[in-house]
Amino acid sequence: MLEMPVLTPDEALWERLFRETQGTMALCYQCGVCTAACPWGLVRHEPFSVRAMMRRAQVGLLDGDEHLWLCAACAQCETLCPRGVPVSEIFQSLREQAWETRRIPRGLSAVLWSVYWNNNPWFQPPSYRVRWARDLEVPRFDPAQHEVLYYVGCTSAYDRRAQKVARALVQLLRAAGVRFGTLGNDEPCCGEAVKSLGHRPYFYEIAQNNAKIFADAGVRELITTSPHCYDVFQNHYPRFQAEFRPYHYTQYLARLLEEGRLRFSREVRLRVTYHDPCYLGRRNGEYDAPRRILDAIPGLERVEMAHSGPEALCCGGGGGRMWLETRAGERFADLRVQEALQTGAQVIATACPFCMACLEDSLKGLGVQGIRVMDVAEIAAMAISPSGTDLRI
Amino acid sequence: MAASLYGPDEAQPAIWVYLEQEQAVLERVSLELLSKARELADGIGWRVAGLLLGHRVRPLVEQAFAWGADEVWVADHPLLEPFTVEAHTAMAFRALMQGRPSVFLCGATPNGRDLAGRLAVRLRTGLTADCTDLRLDPERGGLLIGEVTGFGGGVVALITMPHHRPQMATVRPGVFPLAAPQPGRTGAVIPLDVDLRPEDLHTRVVERVIGQGVDLTQAPVLVVGGRGIHGRFDLLRELAELLGGEVGATRPPVDEGLIGRERQVGQTGVVCRPKVAIVCGASGAFQFVVGIQNAGTVIAVNNDPEAPIFEFTDYGVVGDALQVIPALIEVLRAERMAVEGGPARG
Repeated sequence: MLEMPVLTPDEALWERLFRETQGTMALCYQCGVCTAACPWGLVRHEPFSVRAMMRRAQVGLLDGDEHLWLCAACAQCETLCPRGVPVSEIFQSLREQAWETRRIPRGLSAVLWSVYWNNNPWFQPPSYRVRWARDLEVPRFDPAQHEVLYYVGCTSAYDRRAQKVARALVQLLRAAGVRFGTLGNDEPCCGEAVKSLGHRPYFYEIAQNNAKIFADAGVRELITTSPHCYDVFQNHYPRFQAEFRPYHYTQYLARLLEEGRLRFSREVRLRVTYHDPCYLGRRNGEYDAPRRILDAIPGLERVEMAHSGPEALCCGGGGGRMWLETRAGERFADLRVQEALQTGAQVIATACPFCMACLEDSLKGLGVQGIRVMDVAEIAAMAISPSGTDLRI
Repeated sequence: MAASLYGPDEAQPAIWVYLEQEQAVLERVSLELLSKARELADGIGWRVAGLLLGHRVRPLVEQAFAWGADEVWVADHPLLEPFTVEAHTAMAFRALMQGRPSVFLCGATPNGRDLAGRLAVRLRTGLTADCTDLRLDPERGGLLIGEVTGFGGGVVALITMPHHRPQMATVRPGVFPLAAPQPGRTGAVIPLDVDLRPEDLHTRVVERVIGQGVDLTQAPVLVVGGRGIHGRFDLLRELAELLGGEVGATRPPVDEGLIGRERQVGQTGVVCRPKVAIVCGASGAFQFVVGIQNAGTVIAVNNDPEAPIFEFTDYGVVGDALQVIPALIEVLRAERMAVEGGPARG
């Protein structure tokens, strides 16, 4: 007789997943496009079967699959899914279950505790949050004086490399005469890491509190450095005021260019290829704003990689994977760097601190010379900088 | 706030130290705590006692006396070996209720933490965990002041418990220096009655396996290598050995298979807090720095003066790690020879 393992679907779990995904989980008709589209297939011989995960969720089977934590929420599968299944949201529901049963990879609960205690997922002291601004004297946001709040975000506030992007952005906003302020040390963590790692109850608590903080501070418009913060503000925060409007900084700079407030006067003779961050591109449909900024810089030549826009390859840092190890040889960013090299570009431009970290790591790891990673804001700042030397990149 | 089972009025002027042992070898942290307890007790005229639980552990009392104990309370019983939290909690509770010391200290080891937490609940007293310093205030009747860091080292809190006894605290290994032992120093051995029954214990040790893995979190000194040491971990191991520490690495050398994944330091590796971290040939990527930022002192060696690692260090050496480290090893070796009375130089 054939020995078959007995699988017992969990009715209660099925109902719960159905409810949490607002029924979207049931939309999947198992075509398998997701599995084919998933970038894990590019780095592993055995593809990551997204389809099988969806099937198991549909019948209420959950067995602590290690694959649960692989999803980088790049949304490659979602853009191709013929049924419009929000795959990464379903993954987050499954991760939420894993939190309840404590089947979570080592180190992740420490990340959440750091958000709780330190107000950032990087184990950094809360009182150091404003250090990125050092001598810049960025004022405290005041709705009577300022048109927009600059929400810096944890990674840009603490990561020494990403801090340079925040400083470049301050230069750009000042050059355009934008009246802005920040929340200083009181700036709250947006909670995107918590959401991506699947602890949604805690994320809802953070979102509720923060939405109220923004409302109380009189914030109508807000600029983020990171597409990750932008994504949660735009799509996952409750709205206390109808006029609240978050912008990713590339969107805001593109608007300033259009309004004639921001002008690029200096030539930047660089061949640049733009890497679309998933949370800006596929997640929020913003492919144009960063490209419009680059195209407005005199002397800059923009070239596209083999995969760009909706087809851009993920860097591997989304979906909470910045806090999980990815084995050498399995990093998407290695492939992305290869694609960039084929364009002959001198600079890989991006607009996300996670993409920057992953791509720079891969450049170092591959020992590639003659190409570097810069943020769109850093390149734009070179185009306004009077001497071109005050921006140390 | 519930009252503790005995209060400050009933407490005896004594500092007790839990003498953690495994297979009749004392943990170094217990001797560190005895050294510190001796220093504190001398400042206020109190007694120091060791609490020794295990089986066939009597030979260890001499060591406890040598490191400063005036008395050692001993429970010797097969059910106390190996450590189970039920048996040791029950015995420690009994002993503490008998001796009623004002202060009780445990090492912040896995077993010490386990025991201290349970005991504090049972005694209805407080526990200041992971102290980085301890003081006794003679003005306030020997109030224990425990220093604890929080918020990623951003703040220091001083914690006291004026109304509860014993004043319990745990301290990580390596926080206090080991005093010089005084061989031949003696004291009183106070035997404890053991009334444990096998059915009281819910844990049975089936097999004892010592893994090959390392625990970098416990290393007092960490020597970390990055890409810039070009795989010369043999040099770092030599340096770590001389300093009584362990070797760690950033992600690139781990990726290249030059050193095991269990030694990767950083956000997705191990987050350590050694007393001293020596970082060689690592540029200082943020995700790595997270793993050493809580070190007491960070020393970096890098040939690039612009490397971001220098923003995090207490001391920076601009130079090729492969030249600096061998020179350092040579000096340390010479010093060790001098201390050990050998020839100053080969």
